[in-house]
Amino acid sequence: MEIVPQLILNSIIAGSIYALIALGFNFIYGATKFFNLAHGVMAAIGGYAVFYFAKTLGLNLYFAVILGVALAGIVGYGLDKFIYLPLRKRKASNMVLLVASLGAMTALQAVIAILFTSRFKTFSQNIGTQKLFEVLGGVITQTQLIIILVTALILAGLVFLLYKTQFGKAVRAISDDEEVARIVGINTNKIIGYVFFIGSALAGLAGILVGFDTGIEPTMGLGLLLKGVIASVIGGVGNIYGGVLGAFLLGFVENFGIWKISGEWKDAIAFTLLIVFLIFRPRGIMNK
Amino acid sequence: MVIAVVIIGYFVSQNSSKVSTEQIKIGVVAPMSGNLAFLGEGIRDAMLLAQQDLGNTQYTYELIFEDDQLDSKITASAVNKLIGVNKVDAIVSFGSGPGNVVAPIAEQNNVVHLGIATDPNVAKGEVNFIHWTPPAEENKVFVEELQRRGIKKLGVFESNQQGAAAVMADLKEKLKETDIEIVTDQVFNVGEKDFRSIISKAKNSGAEIYLLLAFSPEVEVLGKQIKEAGINTPLTSIEAFELSEQVDLFEGEWYVNAASPTGDFATKFEAKTNKNPTLGAANAYDIFNLIVAATEGFKGSTKPTPNQIANELTTIKDFNGVLGNLSVDEDGIVMSKAAIRMIKDGKPVDVDN
Repeated sequence: MEIVPQLILNSIIAGSIYALIALGFNFIYGATKFFNLAHGVMAAIGGYAVFYFAKTLGLNLYFAVILGVALAGIVGYGLDKFIYLPLRKRKASNMVLLVASLGAMTALQAVIAILFTSRFKTFSQNIGTQKLFEVLGGVITQTQLIIILVTALILAGLVFLLYKTQFGKAVRAISDDEEVARIVGINTNKIIGYVFFIGSALAGLAGILVGFDTGIEPTMGLGLLLKGVIASVIGGVGNIYGGVLGAFLLGFVENFGIWKISGEWKDAIAFTLLIVFLIFRPRGIMNK
Repeated sequence: MVIAVVIIGYFVSQNSSKVSTEQIKIGVVAPMSGNLAFLGEGIRDAMLLAQQDLGNTQYTYELIFEDDQLDSKITASAVNKLIGVNKVDAIVSFGSGPGNVVAPIAEQNNVVHLGIATDPNVAKGEVNFIHWTPPAEENKVFVEELQRRGIKKLGVFESNQQGAAAVMADLKEKLKETDIEIVTDQVFNVGEKDFRSIISKAKNSGAEIYLLLAFSPEVEVLGKQIKEAGINTPLTSIEAFELSEQVDLFEGEWYVNAASPTGDFATKFEAKTNKNPTLGAANAYDIFNLIVAATEGFKGSTKPTPNQIANELTTIKDFNGVLGNLSVDEDGIVMSKAAIRMIKDGKPVDVDN
């Protein structure tokens, strides 16, 4: 049983990363009602931007992180402005938007691979330079602690934004019914553009944190997106709280699942959980 | 006078065509991009070096390189292109996964195939061969070193791929004859980056050393996360450390590797590439020369067929390669010795016991 505290910590760390992806994914899905598959590649954009600004150009790390988050947001905003918005104006179906987002994901991944090669890159390769903390009998690194704290702050910030600001009211109105929101005078296209910026910036932040924790590669977004989508489906697609709940549930099930069976079954466990929810509770935990 | 010139001209043209027009095409499938590109580049440079070092030969030897990113799906299309479009006479592959893809295609199309691979299945069939230190030889040296160091409890982290599986199957058999016990064996999928929970499972196993069997980047991430988990148990590997570009992550650790190349090859390779020979580079150099030896050794009036080259390969004994005296055994495996190495000052070096 000595392993339990460490497994709890590992689950929280994994859940925090999935939550950041799920938060952005759900934020965008809530407003647009389509599966934006290009969401995952924003994580890679954020990670590679920091790699370029901090390691190649030698800029201050904090400044590089801000630039990385902003760049991921701008690319997400650009995708909406130049691809999704024209398609929405033509009344394209959600399936068309999904395919367009798949194309955008593939293209952006290829651009990253061309610019930076497809080799795995780490922000810091020195072992033993990170501070280690003992928490409840488990060990956690400084980066992992930052991941957990950042996720908590982002969740709080997003809840504040959604429930305490005019912008949040507009987003919720669009999520409820875009047509009605437009009739009452909300500039829905503008708000959805901002939603894409914020959601993509969150994915970029997740990519940066993963970069500090393990490393980055052009295809990293797909794996993160899959986990983010599973978390969203489990918790309730489009529901901010549901996404976070689903992310931590996924983190716990994955990490405790491989306690007694081999680690090679980790992904199988995640997808089994997804199938169970799709069969018995397709709308997720939070959606009725 | 005119008749004499015509006769001399005829014989000169006959001789020159025999020397230079008959061409043997060798296709090389290796990772030229992606995380293991540095290994593919090492193989390419070694084969070009072997081609450059070639003396007078009856045939000319052309090298055609294809990138497979060590991805079996890409390997299949690359091999089909080499066979269908380039009409190669021989194929060289890297890795057990790709080697297992190439072997049946080579057999079906009757093309000689030499794999730089651990899995003995790659050498199955009439035209398939391996030039790699086999797991049995590597494990023999590994187990002897464990015994010499008095290690009784071994922990294992292994990637779920054919090469690692071949090593582990043989290692488990060998350990049955010793008092060394595998106290934890953690398997993970290729591409995994979060090893924290399997590390937690292994942490209290009492292992005196951890054996890492993985490709890059998993091996680096795993090594880093083991240290971050506060584990100071020594790490070792069979080949894995040299599958990483960041060998300095494993500074001071010993490991078992496939045979070490001669100093002469290392010097020539370094002069050409400005790098130490990467894993598999010396094998690639030897493979080129083995194909040349088999082709040139064929006593016939026409260019040998792939089957005839394969037959010649099976007769090669005590070939003077850069990995020592090489012989092809009855299973199509070019035998070479394993070596104990360590990472010292950020570089792999041989350990003299």
